[in-house]
Formats: sequence, C-alpha cells, structure tokens
Amino acid sequence: MFTNFLKIAWRNLINNKLFSVINIIGIMVGFSFSLLIGLIIYYESTFEYFHKDKDLIYRVVSETKSPTETFFYSGATLALKDAIINNSNFEQVGSIFMSQPNNVTVKKTEKTFNTPKYVVFAEQDYFKIFNYTFLAGNAINPLENESHVVLTEKSAKRYFPDLALNEIIGETLTYDSLEVTITGIVEDLPKRTDLVFQEFISWPTILKSRNRKLVEEKNWNLTTSDFQLFVKLTPNADLEDIQKLFDRLTRENRNNLVIENSITNSIRLQPLLDMHFNELYQIHNWQDKRANKSLLKNFGLIALFLLLLGCANFINLTTAQATQRAKEIGILKILGCSKQQLITQFMAETFLLVLVSAVISVALMDTLLIVFADFVPEGLTIDFLFHPEILICIFILIVCITLLSGFYPAFVLSKYKPVKILKNNFLVGNKKAIPRKILTVIQFGIAQVFIIGALLVNSQINFMLTKDMGFNKETTVSVYQPLIARNLNNLKSLASKIKEVEAVETLTMCFNPPASNNVFFSDFTRKTDSADITKQMRFLFGDINYLNAFDIDLIAGRERKHDTVKEVVINETALKTLGFNKPEDAINEKVILYPDTIKIVGVMKDFHQNSLHNPIEPLVLRGDWYNAKFSQFQMISMKVKPLSGGRISEVINEIENRYKEVYPNTEMKLEFMNETVKDFYGREQKISKLLKWASGLSILISCLGLLGLVIYTTNMRVKEIGIRKVVGASVLEIYMLLCKEFIILVGIAFIVASPIAYYLVNQWLNLFTYKVSLSISNFLIGGLIMILFSFVVMSITTLKRANSNPVNSLNFD
Amino acid sequence: MVEISNIEKFYKTDDIQTLALNKFSMKVKEGEFVAIMGPSGCGKTTLLNIIGLVDNADAGSYLLNGKEVSHLNERKRSKFRKQNIGFVFQSFNLIDNRTVFENVELPLIYNNVKQSERKEKVESLLKKMQIMHRRNHFPQQLSGGQQQRVAIARAVVNNPKIILADEPTGNLDSTNGNEVMDLLSDLNDNGTTIIMVTHSEHDAKYSHRIIRMLDGQKVSENMLKI
Repeated sequence: MFTNFLKIAWRNLINNKLFSVINIIGIMVGFSFSLLIGLIIYYESTFEYFHKDKDLIYRVVSETKSPTETFFYSGATLALKDAIINNSNFEQVGSIFMSQPNNVTVKKTEKTFNTPKYVVFAEQDYFKIFNYTFLAGNAINPLENESHVVLTEKSAKRYFPDLALNEIIGETLTYDSLEVTITGIVEDLPKRTDLVFQEFISWPTILKSRNRKLVEEKNWNLTTSDFQLFVKLTPNADLEDIQKLFDRLTRENRNNLVIENSITNSIRLQPLLDMHFNELYQIHNWQDKRANKSLLKNFGLIALFLLLLGCANFINLTTAQATQRAKEIGILKILGCSKQQLITQFMAETFLLVLVSAVISVALMDTLLIVFADFVPEGLTIDFLFHPEILICIFILIVCITLLSGFYPAFVLSKYKPVKILKNNFLVGNKKAIPRKILTVIQFGIAQVFIIGALLVNSQINFMLTKDMGFNKETTVSVYQPLIARNLNNLKSLASKIKEVEAVETLTMCFNPPASNNVFFSDFTRKTDSADITKQMRFLFGDINYLNAFDIDLIAGRERKHDTVKEVVINETALKTLGFNKPEDAINEKVILYPDTIKIVGVMKDFHQNSLHNPIEPLVLRGDWYNAKFSQFQMISMKVKPLSGGRISEVINEIENRYKEVYPNTEMKLEFMNETVKDFYGREQKISKLLKWASGLSILISCLGLLGLVIYTTNMRVKEIGIRKVVGASVLEIYMLLCKEFIILVGIAFIVASPIAYYLVNQWLNLFTYKVSLSISNFLIGGLIMILFSFVVMSITTLKRANSNPVNSLNFD
Repeated sequence: MVEISNIEKFYKTDDIQTLALNKFSMKVKEGEFVAIMGPSGCGKTTLLNIIGLVDNADAGSYLLNGKEVSHLNERKRSKFRKQNIGFVFQSFNLIDNRTVFENVELPLIYNNVKQSERKEKVESLLKKMQIMHRRNHFPQQLSGGQQQRVAIARAVVNNPKIILADEPTGNLDSTNGNEVMDLLSDLNDNGTTIIMVTHSEHDAKYSHRIIRMLDGQKVSENMLKI
C-alpha cells in the first residue's frame, strides 16, 4: 500500500513541477542548515570520546577571584601534585608543562625546524592516563630519565622522513639548547582531541630549562595555564571528597598577599569530556578554531527558522492548492477511502518531497562545508555524514519535517466533505485563508527580523571598526621579539636597524600595543591628607616614544624623561579614579607602586584598551625600570608612512631582512594594529555573516512561497480579471488588485517584526559598552528591502496576467 | 432494497433556506433499473447523493437492505458505501494522476482485497469493457466514451449491490452514450440494481421505471417494463 502511495506521490511531484521546486528549495535550505549544524555539533561534542577511561579522566583547573574580577586558568599550581598523589581517589596523576621552543635541530641531518608546535614536558604517568599506543622504543618508562623525548609518529616522520620508526629510536634532537634522545614513538591520537601534543620531553629535563625555578619553587599561590595536571580517578572515587581536599589545600596555603587583597583561589576537576566545550578554560590548540556554544546556538536557531520557513511554504502552497485536489479527495472518499488513508497518502507525498530535499542537501553538503568554512571545525569532513549516528539523525529529521509540514495540510484536505466537492460547492473562502495569511505574515516576519538584524549588527560592526580608538591603529605595525631570544640589547639592535627603513616614521619598544588582550594589573596608591586612595590599575610598558608612535595625545604635563626613570603617565580615567579634579592637579604628584614611590608627570587622553565590549579602564604608562635584571619590552611598534598595496610588502620585506640580521633562525611575527582591532570582533563578524546568509535565504524562501501563492491566486482569479478588463479596468488597477492582499501581509509582517528585531538587537547590543544608536532608518530600509523583493516577485506573474487579452481569460474559464 | 420515506433536505445560505427535497418517498427493489428525471435544480442529484450515502437527509427515513442508514456517521456511511454502492458520474470523475488500471483498482484497495486478486479482477473487467489495451494510460489520454467505460468498470469492480449513475451519458456523443447505456443495461440484466439520474428520455427508456421530480417532490412514476 505504502509503495502505491509513494508512486502516486511521485506523479504529483512531477505533475506540479513549479510548486514542487518551490517546496523542495524551501525545505532543502532549512534541511541543509540543520544538517550542517548537526554535523558541527556531532563533531564538537564527540571530542575525546575514544579514550578508554574517558569518564574517569579529569583535568585540574583553577579559578582566582579578586574583588573586581575572576580569572580562570586551565592549569593548576605546581605544588598540587605532591599533595594529592597519595590520595586514594586518584589512580594516576600526570603533569605536562607547555614548552615553546624556538626551534629544534635534528643532530643527524643538522636540519633545523622553526617554532615546533605542541612540545611539552611530560611525566611518565601521562601515558598511563591516556592510552597511547607505542609503535617503537621503550613503552614502559620512556620518560623516566632526563634528556629523553617521545615523539608521535607524525613528528617522527617530519624529522626523519627516511628512517623506519625503529631506526629513529636513539636519535638526538636539540630544542633550542636542550639536547634530548628519542626513547619512544607513539601513534598519533585520532583527530577529535584537544590533546594535540606531539613531542613529549621527559619531566626531569625541565630542570635544565628556563622554567627550572618555577618547578622547584612549587608556589601554592602561583597558577599558570602552562602547567596542566591530568588525573585518572579510581572507579569509586568520591568527587565531593576531592573538592574538599582541594578547598582545604588552597585555604591552608594562602599567602599574605592573597589574604590582604581578598583573593580567593580555588581548584576544581574538569571532566575530560567538558574540555572542548567549556570556554572558561583554554584548550591546548589555542591557535585552532574551537567550539563556541553561543555561535552554535545562533546557527541552530537560524537553521530552525529556515526549516520553519520551508515548512510554512509547504503548508501554504498545499492548502492553497486544495481546490485542485478536491475532486480527487471527493472521488477517493466516495470510493471508500478513509480519512486515515487520505492522511497517509498526503503524508507519503510530503515524505517524498522532504526525502528529495534531503538527498539534495546531502549532495550539497561538501560545498556547504567549504562555503561555511569560517564556522566549520577544521577536521570536519564529508565522511562524517555517513556515521551511523548522523544517518539516524537525518532519518529523524526527515520524519520530523514530514510531520511538521505535512500533518496540517493532510488533516485539512482529508476533512473535506465529498458531497460539497461533487456539487462544485467547494471554494476556499476568505475565512479558510486565514491560517495561510497568518503563516505568510510569520514567514515574512522571520525574514524581516533577519534583515533588520543583519543591518543593525552590520552597523554595530562598522561602528566598532571605524570608531576612533583614541590612538593611531591604521598605520602602526608591531614586530615581536622571539621568546627564546628575549634580550633588551637584541631588541635595541633591531630597533636601530628598523629605524633605517625609509617608510618607518617613528618606533617604540614596548610590552604591548595600546589595545590588546594582554592585561597587566597592579595596585596604585595615592596618599592624600585625609586618606589613602588605593586602586587597581592596568599597566602599559613602553619607552618614551610610545605616545608619539601611537599618536596618543597628552593633555597635561610631559612625556617621561627616560625608560628607567620612575615616572608615569596616567590616562583620564585613572585621573578620575585617583580623585584628581583637573589633569594639572595630578602633575608631579607622588604615588606608590609597591615598593616604589613614583611621580605622575603627564596625563594622556583616554583610549580604548580592548574591544568596545569593555569600558576604558584606569591605565598607567610606565617604562622599563628594572631592565638591568629583566626587560619588560618584548616588541617594537612602529608608525609607518601611508603606503599603497605593493609598497606594503616591500616595506615588510625590508623589516624582515633586518629582523633576520638580529634573529637569524626565527620567523618574524608581525601584527598590523588595525588587524588586531579587527580580531577583537571575530565573533561579531561571524554573527554578521550568519545573519546575512539567514536574511538572503529567508528572503529566497519567503519570496518563492509568495511567488507560488501569487501564481495560484492569479490563476484562480483569471475569470474575474477577464471580466474586470472587459468592463474597463486598467492594467495598473488589475496589478494593484492582485498585489494588494500580499503587500498588506508583508506590511503587517514588518509591523510585527520590527519590535521583535528591536528587542533582540537591543539585547545583543547590551553586550557592548560602546554601541551604535538604533536608527529608525535601518528598520525602514529592512522593510523596503522586503517590500521591494515582494513587488518584484509579484510582478513576474501579475503583470503578465494583467496585460493579457481579456478574451483569453474568459476562454480559460 | 432502497426504501425512502418522507426525506427532506435543506440548503441554507446566509439569508435563504432552500428546500431541495420535500417529503420525498420512493422504493427500489433488488434488480430494478430506475430512472429519475426532472428539470435542473429539482433535487435529482441531491436524492442520488442521499441514496449513495454521500450526504445525509435532514429529516425522514432511509432503509438500505432493511437497515436504517439516514443518521449514520461518516465512518459508518463510508463502510456501507464501499461495500454496497458503485458510482458513475456525468463528468466521469476519474483521478487524473492514476492510470486506467489504478483507477479501477481503487475500490478493491479500500476493501482490502489482496493484490493478486485485485490484478485478476481488474484485468478481467478491463477485458470485458474492451479497454485492456489502455490499462496503463492516464484518463486525459482517453476519449470520453473510454473514460466513462473506465468509470463504469470502477463502479462495478467490487460487485456492488447498487449502481448510482448521475447523467452517465451527459458528456458523451450518441454512439458512446448508447454504448454506456448498453453496458449499464447488461449489468442490470446480471442482477445489479441501478438508479440513474438523467435528462435524456432516450436513456430513461433503458430503465424499468421512470420517476419524475419537480421542486424536490415526486410528480409522477411510470412503469416501462416488468
């Protein structure tokens, strides 16, 4: 029976080509989006699933809460391990410490590889927590002694492409100055993991590195995300007990600084399976894209709305076509077809249509993965589409869409009374068109919200990108000093060489450019007659050319005299925070920056230190006071003359050549300030892109639906049009007659959608401290876009009909 | 077989109520061929719809095979209809997206007849109706006469006790019309009860009895054959 239903359904699909195409496109768009988001969610949420003991493995993470801010660290204090290793809740405890070597040299070939990624110092137990497969070498204790290293197969092949894995064992690598022997080679972990490390240097070797002091000191009050502790719990471990232990340890080991500043440190266990999704804590491949729940949620919502639009199209067009199906329904009922059988027939038709849409969506998925590459995780390929879980989801989705779009029309159509149909007494009256009108309004309303949303989000992004940050971001470029060669003399040497580049106007040595994600805080105390005012301030470290290089204006006082003179320049917000009334009042005032007493010599204009999400903070510009011991300067920022496209790469080459003279074995890391600012808004730009797609596709689906409805109603009114023309109606009058009803619906949709769009965008804008004001013009433009598209779509059909010879219309009847 | 007493049927619009059948009564015996005649709007088709259980009467009684059916709900009427009644319409009312075979097969599907049995029955009937060569054609590919033959095949495939024909030759030329009337006559000769609404005196002559109607009432009844 069902095959028979499908056969008839296929014929209906072919016989009503236009309506079938409209319906298929509508459903296919929503289906494709849903499938894409489904694939992304599946991919992201199955990270680390391959580990045998995944439910018993945790990462130890930390939280530091000050009265003003909370910081989350994906690492823990180095002191923790010794305190927990003998606790019966833990089966294994294994540490790693991120190493960022500048280069690695293969002794055998004398070949040097720059900035190897994912190198860590690792403890022996790390390999017991995670089940790595040893392909060669010592699988029992490869990391027990100092100066040993275990490589993944991929790394081993990179360094020794011509050797068999067994031959690589015993070879020597030199990370910067650390010489290590290869004692083991492990299989690479499958792709869906954040444990991306490829080279594991034995833990004892860390004592030969620059991190020695940190490791030996084991400071309870110092947490770094570079040190990560993984634990495997015993099957009966008590999580509450463990948390109590952590709380006790942090409480007992607080130092005075922590107590005096009302800082609360806490340590927690983070389940391995939570690692990929929890944005509070960093993952190791920080350079790669990471799952972003809110973006996925937005993506999912858009997919849902597009699906609903497609379903609405189907419902609208199917119920509008009811009169054409009426005869068939009447005859089938007279012949004894039950309501259930009719519903099954219509559901089979819907199922087939959804199935065709689904097949097209699946076929398009490869292209969609490319088009939406910004949102798609790197390892997600078309192969995931054929995972059994995904195939089941596709089937469930097909069934859900079939029910969602097919049930109402099936119910309405199967309800018709055969006698009315036989008497030709069957007309879709105004009353019956009400659900269709409501659906059309909802459809256009959704499209309208997307359009207005896209316009407003875009204007906020433009506002953020073009807003004056308070410093020169357009012509400033920064060059980082390599970490391993961090040395003030080298930096000075580089600075003097870069000065020779003709396009460079001025340069400064500093720790950070004016706006960045790096933050350095400290307390700052102003002593007044009545009381001490102590406030937390942000600090920028820069030489005396800093203000000049970034075109930051001084509004009172002067620039500092020398990098090592203990003078500072504060910004306007700091001025207010410290209780000064006028900029001049602050000049030559003494303040305490423990342990020094220093002098404020200037007040600079406020500028934005981060994205416009955040307010301007009190800020202090200071020099490099202790450069004899350790320099705070790590980069050179320079103002360059405005350059044309080709000239820019020439200048970069010139700078790079000079860089290579100072740091011959390292790659230059260069940042354009305007790119840095742009990067602050990566997520917003993704939302904007998503909304543009959503707007375009919702316009497409809605307009296709409108086209279908207009064609249908125009055909239904052919006789009326003929008669009206015979009695003297003009083309314009006929055109308006046919369009009026739909334009009113689009107008209502605009009125309904505007406050919703206003509310949603306003909610989003609340995330920003600095935001664009919501202008009515954006709403009007959104409305006009929709009306314009509607007119174009309606004109395609109605003008042809309005222009036709009346006799054709009358004959048609 | 069909016994109708004092049937009434109203049609209401916003401000007018029309009486389509006014205390109409009639009896049809098993194996009879009855023609119902009268001007347009006199209530012929309404009567046929009520007899065919496609519509309900507003008042009166309708006994079909001795069972009162005038107040049955749609589900029960549908069951009665598919087991007892076959329909032939003036405009054939074939379903456009089904082939000749599939159109004729429909009543058997709804009566849960097995596929192999359906095939056998439909093919034998199509041969009998001389349209077997058109079994895979769609209705729009057939002439009017062929379409009506398919419609009759569909009406009789389930061996109904009554065939209700609403102006079966109204859309046909005289040659095709005569062929259709001969077919109905043959069916009647084989024991099928036929009630036919017609404007054609020529067609009415095929029946045993002619009932004439005016304004929802019976105005005369003539016996032609016994």
